[in-house]
Amino acid sequence: MYGVGDGGRVCSCVWGVVMVKRVRDLGAAHSGFSDWYWQRLSAVLLLVLLPLALASLWAVYWGVLDQSAFLNGFHNFIFRLLHTLLAVALLVHAYMGLKVIIEDYVHTGFRVVCIALVLILMGGLGVCWLALIWAWGG
Amino acid sequence: MTRKDKPLSPRLSIYHWHWGMVASIAHRASGVLLILCIPIYIWLLYGMTGSPQNFEHIVNILHSLWGRLGLWAASVAVVYHICNGIRFLCLDAGWGELQMMMRYSACMVLGMAGVSAVVFGVLLW
Repeated sequence: MYGVGDGGRVCSCVWGVVMVKRVRDLGAAHSGFSDWYWQRLSAVLLLVLLPLALASLWAVYWGVLDQSAFLNGFHNFIFRLLHTLLAVALLVHAYMGLKVIIEDYVHTGFRVVCIALVLILMGGLGVCWLALIWAWGG
Repeated sequence: MTRKDKPLSPRLSIYHWHWGMVASIAHRASGVLLILCIPIYIWLLYGMTGSPQNFEHIVNILHSLWGRLGLWAASVAVVYHICNGIRFLCLDAGWGELQMMMRYSACMVLGMAGVSAVVFGVLLW
């Protein structure tokens, strides 16, 4: 006797014993693919945006970028939009990365607390960063 | 085996060290370093968008020993994390999955980080 379980899982029931005939491709935790997808998507964005942020710091260090030029850039809508993308991608990527490290090395219930603290920290940094870009910096 | 004693990945004290493992651990270490740099970057941004005195203060900080050291470490970490990140994306796509290729690519990204460390060091000092 066969039935289709949730997510297309094919099960066979023989004398009350349920056997999974075909495992789900993307895992049974329901979040594995989502984590992997967001980590890779944010990584591709950061591949372009992170070197730009670093280059701006180097330009300030060398005196190529003075404050008026820097603030002119800050008033530009495209610049603010790219900076917002950088902030969101970086914080999402950082959260995903720290979550993986915590899951690998913290093996007690404290793991959940650590992940929650990281989430709160990243949220707080995100609020400060976005406020700086869209409110204070203008 | 209790829940507390369950083996965790990667098992640093059990696996033999090889270049792929070094590259993976260095990827995590550089990632953690870059996360520590996020609040510093926001603080620098806050200073640079403030008064002209604040901007001057930030430039002076960047030119100090600790400022240059921070800029050097962040730059090397960015270069390494991006190079190894591209390596991971290639592995996800199924390119260079042979054991020999994985070791060569790991050596290559570590070498690139070493070269970038020297170049950034020369540029800053």
